[in-house]
Amino acid sequence: MNFKGTLPTLILEALAREPDHGYRIAQRIKERSQGVLDFKEGTLYPALHKLENEGRVESYEGMENGRPRRYYRITESGRKTLHTDRAEWRALAQAMSTILGEA
Amino acid sequence: MNTLDNWLQQATRGLADDSATQVHTEIREHYESSELLAINRGDTAEEAHRSALTALGDAHDANCQYRKVLLTSAEAKMLREGNWEAHAVCSRIWFKRLLLLAPFTVLSAAVMAFMNGSTSTAWTLLGGAITAGFLFATPFLPVYTPSRSRVFRYAKWIILPGMLALIFGPDTLKWSWLLISSLWPMIWIEMTRIAIRRKLPVAKWPRHLYL
Repeated sequence: MNFKGTLPTLILEALAREPDHGYRIAQRIKERSQGVLDFKEGTLYPALHKLENEGRVESYEGMENGRPRRYYRITESGRKTLHTDRAEWRALAQAMSTILGEA
Repeated sequence: MNTLDNWLQQATRGLADDSATQVHTEIREHYESSELLAINRGDTAEEAHRSALTALGDAHDANCQYRKVLLTSAEAKMLREGNWEAHAVCSRIWFKRLLLLAPFTVLSAAVMAFMNGSTSTAWTLLGGAITAGFLFATPFLPVYTPSRSRVFRYAKWIILPGMLALIFGPDTLKWSWLLISSLWPMIWIEMTRIAIRRKLPVAKWPRHLYL
């Protein structure tokens, strides 16, 4: 299932616990949604760059198994955005449940 | 050329060299991790390659997304060349002085035209003097923060068409096709600068991006 426009929120959520590189961010999103939320991994990096341009995440060079990798971490501005997004999603999910429950 | 190279070629079409290199590095890292995981899971090399490539999705979609967030060749060129109008003027001192004198000369001519009763000529000259004065004063204005930059750009886009309206008077609408086509290069440059501002962090903005 691919919900348009949700990828930035999912990325911020994945980075809220600890910094990570692109591949593991993608895996974490898929694992945590138990495979329900799927997206094409080629679009993950444009979303990461957009968040970086907006100052919501920042990147740095790290090492994994002796190989350099680009890691991303959430910024204070990113945490605020995530907080707002969570509240909006809860409100939306509640409204949808109410409507679909009535049907 | 293998299929990953094909994918990368499509995904980086139209991107600046630096942006393309960045995409190559991050996608290759991602692809290798994905392929390794599939092999560790028991897939054959061929299956691992196919699944890693399928997971990346459509290269054309990725290219559209990348072009929205990374610099394209045209944007990188503009960023490199900077404000070519200013370079052309500033590289020749005599030309710079002559141009700096222009607004005052035209303003004097406007005053003289008002005094002689040639009102329509005077308005045209006044419009020209204000426009030239505004353009030439630009490099000396303290515009070096994003908020000041925004105010400056609003002022620029109010003053320029306003002055052209003052110059052309009641014929402005009649000549609007000429005005729009002559302003088009400026509009195009401004649109490209808007795209660059969205893609570059403020700390990396060169001076001409504020204007």
